[in-house]
Amino acid sequence: MRFFGLDGPGAELGPSLDFSIALIAVAPFLAALVAPWIKSFTGALAGWVLAIVPAAIFALLLTFVTPVAENTVVKAALPWIPSYGISFSFFIDGLSLMFGLLISGIGTFIVIYSGGYLAGHPHQGRFFSYMLMFMGSMLGLVLADNIFTLFVFWELTSITSFLLIGFDHSRQAARRAAIQALVVTGAGGLALLAGLILMSVASGENSLTGLLTQAGTMQEQPVYLLALILVLIGAFAKSAQVPFHFWLPNAMEAPTPVSAYLHSATMVKAGVYLIARMSPVLGGTPEWFWILTLFGGLTLLWGGVLAVRQTDLKQILAYTTLGSLGLLVMLLGFGTKEAVLGAILYLCAHSFFKGGLFMVAGAIDHGTGTRDITALGGLREHLPVTFIAAVLGAFSMAGFPIALGFLAKEEMYLALVHGLWPDLFFLAVLIAGNALMMAAGILIATKPFLGPLKPTPHEPHEGGLPLWIGPVILGVMGVSAGLFTDWINHYALNPIGGSVTNHAVDAHIHLAFDLANPAVWASLATWALGAAIIWQADAVRSAVRRTGQAIGWTFDIGFDALMFGLIRFADRVTRTLHHGRLEWYILLLFSVLAVVLYAPMLITGTAPRMAEFPVLSFYEWGAILIAAAGLIAILLLRTRLTAIVALGIQGFAVALIFLLFGAPDLAFTQFMVETLSVVILALVMTRLHLDARDPREFEVALRDGAVAVAAATGFAVVLLSVLQLDLDLSLTEFFNETSRPLAHGRNIVNVILVDYRAIDTLGEISVVMAAGIAIMALVRLKGGDGDTPRGISRPTERRRT
Amino acid sequence: MATAATSYDALNLPPAMIEGATAPADWIVVWPVALALFGAGLLVMLRNQRPLQSVFAGLIVLAIIVSNVYLLLRVFEAGPLAMTMGKWLPPFGITFVADMTGALFALSASVAAFIVVIFAKVELDGREYRFGFYPLLLLLLCGVSGSFLTGDIFNLYVWFEVMLIASFGLLILGGRRIQIDGAVKYGFLNFLATALFLIAIAYLYGITGTLNMADIARKSAEAPVGPLLTASGLFLFAFGVKAAAFPANAWLPAAYHTPAVAVSALFGGLLTKVGAYAAYRVLVLMLPAGRDMLEPVILAVAVATMILGPLGALAQTNLRRAIGFLVIGGIGVLFAGLTLGTQHGIGGGVIYAVHSILTLTAFYLVGGLVERMSGTQDIRYMGGIYTVNAPLSILFIILVFAMAGLPPFLGLWPKILLVEGGVRAGDWVIVTTLLLNSLLTLIAASRLWAHIFWRNGHEGARSEQPNDTLRRLTSDEVGLGLAPTIALVALIVVLGFFPNWLIEAGGVAAIDLLEPERYISAVFAGVPQS
Amino acid sequence: METALVGLIALFFAVSLYLLLSKSIIRMLLGVAILGNAVNLLIFTTGRLTAEIPPIVPEDAYAPIQGSANPLPQALILTAIVIGFAMFAFLLVLGYRAYQALDADNTDNMRLAEPEDAPRPPLSY
Repeated sequence: MRFFGLDGPGAELGPSLDFSIALIAVAPFLAALVAPWIKSFTGALAGWVLAIVPAAIFALLLTFVTPVAENTVVKAALPWIPSYGISFSFFIDGLSLMFGLLISGIGTFIVIYSGGYLAGHPHQGRFFSYMLMFMGSMLGLVLADNIFTLFVFWELTSITSFLLIGFDHSRQAARRAAIQALVVTGAGGLALLAGLILMSVASGENSLTGLLTQAGTMQEQPVYLLALILVLIGAFAKSAQVPFHFWLPNAMEAPTPVSAYLHSATMVKAGVYLIARMSPVLGGTPEWFWILTLFGGLTLLWGGVLAVRQTDLKQILAYTTLGSLGLLVMLLGFGTKEAVLGAILYLCAHSFFKGGLFMVAGAIDHGTGTRDITALGGLREHLPVTFIAAVLGAFSMAGFPIALGFLAKEEMYLALVHGLWPDLFFLAVLIAGNALMMAAGILIATKPFLGPLKPTPHEPHEGGLPLWIGPVILGVMGVSAGLFTDWINHYALNPIGGSVTNHAVDAHIHLAFDLANPAVWASLATWALGAAIIWQADAVRSAVRRTGQAIGWTFDIGFDALMFGLIRFADRVTRTLHHGRLEWYILLLFSVLAVVLYAPMLITGTAPRMAEFPVLSFYEWGAILIAAAGLIAILLLRTRLTAIVALGIQGFAVALIFLLFGAPDLAFTQFMVETLSVVILALVMTRLHLDARDPREFEVALRDGAVAVAAATGFAVVLLSVLQLDLDLSLTEFFNETSRPLAHGRNIVNVILVDYRAIDTLGEISVVMAAGIAIMALVRLKGGDGDTPRGISRPTERRRT
Repeated sequence: MATAATSYDALNLPPAMIEGATAPADWIVVWPVALALFGAGLLVMLRNQRPLQSVFAGLIVLAIIVSNVYLLLRVFEAGPLAMTMGKWLPPFGITFVADMTGALFALSASVAAFIVVIFAKVELDGREYRFGFYPLLLLLLCGVSGSFLTGDIFNLYVWFEVMLIASFGLLILGGRRIQIDGAVKYGFLNFLATALFLIAIAYLYGITGTLNMADIARKSAEAPVGPLLTASGLFLFAFGVKAAAFPANAWLPAAYHTPAVAVSALFGGLLTKVGAYAAYRVLVLMLPAGRDMLEPVILAVAVATMILGPLGALAQTNLRRAIGFLVIGGIGVLFAGLTLGTQHGIGGGVIYAVHSILTLTAFYLVGGLVERMSGTQDIRYMGGIYTVNAPLSILFIILVFAMAGLPPFLGLWPKILLVEGGVRAGDWVIVTTLLLNSLLTLIAASRLWAHIFWRNGHEGARSEQPNDTLRRLTSDEVGLGLAPTIALVALIVVLGFFPNWLIEAGGVAAIDLLEPERYISAVFAGVPQS
Repeated sequence: METALVGLIALFFAVSLYLLLSKSIIRMLLGVAILGNAVNLLIFTTGRLTAEIPPIVPEDAYAPIQGSANPLPQALILTAIVIGFAMFAFLLVLGYRAYQALDADNTDNMRLAEPEDAPRPPLSY
C-alpha cells in the first residue's frame, strides 16, 4: 500500500490535513460543550441543528472513499506528548473509513431521532452533550493511529456510555446498569492497556501502522500469548462476548437512542474493530483461531436462544445484538478471505438493520407506551411508516435476497461450506444462530403490527418525522444493497478486506441464487429453521424460560454477588484493621519496629561483636544508676507526686550524664527543659485523675513488656554495631578548626547552632511558635458537642422513610 | 593544640566559605520557606484584623507560587539549583537544593494551599481567625516547602516537625470533641513516626559522619551493609508511617475527617506526600543500596496499601473517611513507583504525586460542598445533587474519573508510565496490583457518585422521592467555595490534556534521583577542587 | 565507654515504649517524655563519647583541646530537646483536653472518630 499524508501528494495540504482529520474526532466534543445552550436556543429543532455536526463529518469522510479504494492510506498527526512518544495521530484506511462512515452516518439519524424522542425532557441538553461526546470518542477510536491515543478514546467511550446508561438516574436499575457497564468495560480496558503496553515494549512500535509492519513477527514473540489474552479480554468486554456479556442487556435501561447507537451499531462494535485491526498482528495462530471461534460461537448461540425468550422489544434486540457480535468475532477468528468479507458485510448490514429496528422499538414505545411484544398487536394502521421500516429491517436481518444481510450470509456460509472439521461444526452453529436471529427479527416486525389491535396505555400514534426518517432510510439502504454489488466490491470490500487481512483482496460478491452453490442450501436451511421457530415461538419461549429457571443462576446474578461480596469483604477487612483502639495501633507499630531492627542484622549476618565491659568513673556510674532508678520508679509509681518526682529524677540524671561527658550546654538546657516539663506536668496533673497502679492485667503487661524489651534491645544492638564502625570526623574537625577564626565564637556548640546550622535553629523556633499558637487554640477554643460536622445548618436526623 | 599564631594563615585552615557573591537569582531557593515563615509571624501580629488575614495569606501564598514557578523553570533549563546557608561550604553548612522532584512537589503543594486559603473563608468563624488558622496554615506550608527544598537530613527532620506541629494546631482548631479524639490518635502516631525518623538520622550519622544529603549519597556506596540496611529500613518505616502506608495507616482515617473541610483538604493533599517524597529522596538518592535490598519489603507494602486503600473507601458510609482511604490508595501507587526503582517507576511516581496532590485536595473540597448542601457526612442520607447543581456534578464526575486514572484526565499518564515500568521490569505483581487499584478506585468512586448525585433521595427511599434535606449553596459558598474548586479542577483537566511538560519533568526528576551526579555537582559547585 | 550508655539507652527505650503501650493518656505522656530523652541519649552516643572535656575553645587558642567532645551531635540534640519539649507540651495539653472532653483513662473508649457501631455500607447502587 502506498502511504501518504505528510510527504506525499497531500503534502501541500500539510498541517491543515492533519488538523482537519484530527478535527473529525475533536469537533463533536466541541459541539458537546455548547449543546445545552444550542438546545435552549433552538428548542424543538435542536436535533436537526446538532445533526449538522455528524453530517458534516460524514461528508468529509466521503471524500476519502475514492483514494482509499485506490489503496492509499491517509495519515495525520499532531504532536501531543513527544517526550513519551505519544502523538495525536490518525490514519484512514478501508476499515477505519467504513467505521467512520457508519458512526457519523447513523449518528446523524440518531441525533435527529433524539430530538424527537426526548422532546420536553428537562435534561435533553445534557443528553445531546453526552451523545456528541460519545460520537467523538468513537470516531477517535476507529481513526486513531497511536495506540495510546486509541486507548484514550476507548476509555472515553466507556465513560460516555456510563453517563448515558445512567441517564434515567433516579431508578436504581439504571444506576446499576451504568455501574455494571463501567466496571466490566473498565476492567477490560485495564487489561487492554497492559496488552498494548506489552506489545509496544516487545515490538518497539507505538502506533498501529507501525505494528502492522511487524505483522508476522509478533506471533513468534514469547509474550505473544499474554498480549493476545490481554487484548482479547479488552475486546471481549467491550463487545460483550461471553462471559463478559451480561452488561449489554442491562444497558437497555438507557433511553432508546442510546441503545440504537451505542449498544448495537457502534460502541459494542469497538471490540470487533480492535480484533479486525489486530488480525494481521496477532492473528493466524491456533490460539487466535480457537479462542475467537469458540467464544464467538458460544456468544452467538447464547444470544440467539435468549433472544426468543424475551418479551420486551428492546431486550429481544439486545440479545440478538449479542448474538451478532458473537457471529462477527467467530468469523474474524476464521480469518479467511470469505470469512473476513462476510464479517464486513454483516457488520454493515447489522448496523443498518439493528439501528433501524431499535429506533422502531423506540417509536412503538413512544407511540403506545409499552414495549411488551405479547401486549402489542394490530398497529399497522396507526403506525404505518414504522411498520414499513420494521419490515425492511427484518428483511435484511433474516437475510432474504436482495438485502445486504443476504450477501453477508451467503459469503459467510461460503467461507465454511467447503471444509470439513471444524468448518462444518461452526457452519451448523452459524445456521442455528442465523435462524434464531431471523426468527427474532420477523417476530418484532410482525407481531406488534399484524393481527387485531390490542389495547395500549396510550392511544397509538405515529411519532413525528424525526422518529421514522432514520429507520426508513437505513432500512432502504440495507435492503437495496444487493443491487450495487459492483460498487460494494470495489469501493468497500477490497480496501476493507485488505486492511484486515493485510494483503490485497479481490472481492467478487454478486447477487445470485444458484442452487448449485452449497451456500445457498445453507441459506435455505436457515430459513426453514427460522420459520419453524417462528411457528412454535411460544413453545420455544416457555421451554427456554423453564430451562433458565432450572439453572437458576445467571452471570448477572453473579455480578451482583461479586459486587456485594466485595463490599462486604471490604467492610470486614476495614473493620478488622481499623478497629479504633489506639493501644493496638501502637502495639502493631512497635512489633513491626522490632522486626525492622532485628531482621537486617539476621539477614546480612552482621551482628555486632561483644563489647568489652566499659571503664567509667564513679560519678559516671552514679549518674547512670540514678537515671535507671528514676525509670524503674516511674514504672512502679503509685501516686501523682511520685510520677512527677520520678520523671524529674530521670531527666536530671540525663542532664548529669551530659555534663559528665563533656556537654555543659546540653546539661543546662536539659535542666531547664526538664524543670519546665515537670512544672507543667504538675499543673496538669492536679486536675487529672491517675490510676494508682497501672491497670494492665498480667498477660497484657507481659505482652507489652515483651514488645518493649524486644524493640529496645533492638535499638541497643544496632547502636552497638554502629559504634563499632569508625566515625568520619571531618565535619567535627572542620567545626573545631574554624569556629574561632572564621565564625568568631569559642563555644563551638553555640556557633554551630547560630552560624553553621542556623536554619535548624530557625526551624526549631518556628516549632515553638507553632506549638504556642496551637496550645493557645487548644486551651481557649471549646467547640461544644463536636459530633456534628461543621457548616451544616441542620443537625442530622435519622429519617425513617 | 594551643598555638599563639596571630595570623589566620598560619593556622592552615581548610577551605571554608564560598568565594564570591551569590547570584541574586539563586536566593529564590529559600524564598518559599522565608515567605511562609515571615507571613506566619505577620499574621500572628495581625490576628485581630479579620479581613486582612485571608488577603495577606493569599498574597503570600501567591508569592510562594511565583517563586516555585521560577524555580521550576530554572531547574528545567539549568539543572538542580543549590545554595548553602551562611556561605559555608557544603557539607559543613546546610544546603538548600531545588531539583526537579523538589520543585514539582513544592509547586503543586503551594497551588493546593492557595486554593485552600480561599476556600477556608467559607467555613471559618471569627474566633478561628483570632486563634491562628492562617498563621498555622502558613507554618504548615513553611514546613512542607522546607521539606521539599532542603538538602540536609537533620534539617528535613526540623521541617517535618514544623509541619507536624502546625498540623496539630489545624487539626484541633475549633476544639470539638471529635477533633480531640482524632488528634490524640494522629498526634501520638505521628510523634512516634518523627521519633523513629530522628533515630534513623542518628544511626546514619553514626555510619557516615555527615548530614548533607549529597555527601551521604557519595559516601553510602562504601558504607557497611548491615548497619546501612538497618538505617534504610528504619527510614522506610518512619516515612511509611508518615505517608500512611500499610501497616501503619490507621491514623489517617481516624483523624482526617474530623476538622474543617479546608484542613482535611490540605492534609489529604499535602501531608502524606511529604512522607512519600522523603522516602523517594532518602531511598533513591541517598541510600540506593538500601533501596535495592529492601525492594521485596517495599513491594509488599505497596501491594498491600494499593489494595486496602480503595477497599477501605468501598466500606465507608462517611464521605470524608472514604476520600481518606482513597488517599491511602494513592500512597500505595507512590510506593509502587519506589519498588520499581527505574526511570519509568520513579518518574511515574513523581508525576502521580503531583496528580494526587491536586486531585485529592479538589476531591475533599468538592466533598465539603456536598456535605454543606446535604447537611450530613453520611452518604446514605445524601442524594439528588445531579438534578440540582450542574457545576458541582461536573466537578465530581471529573474527579471520579481523574482519581481512577481514566483518560483523558491527569491520572492516566502516571499510570501508563508505571505500568510500562512494571512490564519492562517483568514485575507482573506490580502491574496487576496497579490495575486492580485502578479498578477498585473506579468502583468506589463511581459508587459515591451514584449514591450522592444520581440517587434522588436517601438510601432506601422510593426513587421519585427527592431529597428534602438538600439545600442550595449560598452565594458565599459559590464565590469562595465553588469558584476556587472549579479553578483547581480546570487546572487538573488542562494538565491532563497537555501533559507533555509534566511527563518530561517526571523523566528528568527520575534521572536526577537515580543518577545523582548533577545533584551532587550542583551542591558542591562552590567547593574548590583540592 | 559508650557501651555503658548503650545499656542505659536500652532501659530508657524499654520503659518509654512500655508506657506508650498503656491505655491511659497520662502514662502515654510520661512515655513521650522518656522517649525524648532516650533519643537524645542515642544521638549523643552515636557521636562517640569522650570524658568531660567540653568543646570550647580556650582563651588563648584557636582550636579546642584534643579529645574534646564532638560538638555536632550536641547541637543536634539541643534542637531536638527544644522540639521535643514543644511536642510534649502540646501533647500534654491535648491529653488534658482529652480528659475534659472524653474518657482519656482508656483510649479504647475514645471512639468518636472511629465509632464502634459505624454503619455498614449500603448494598445498593
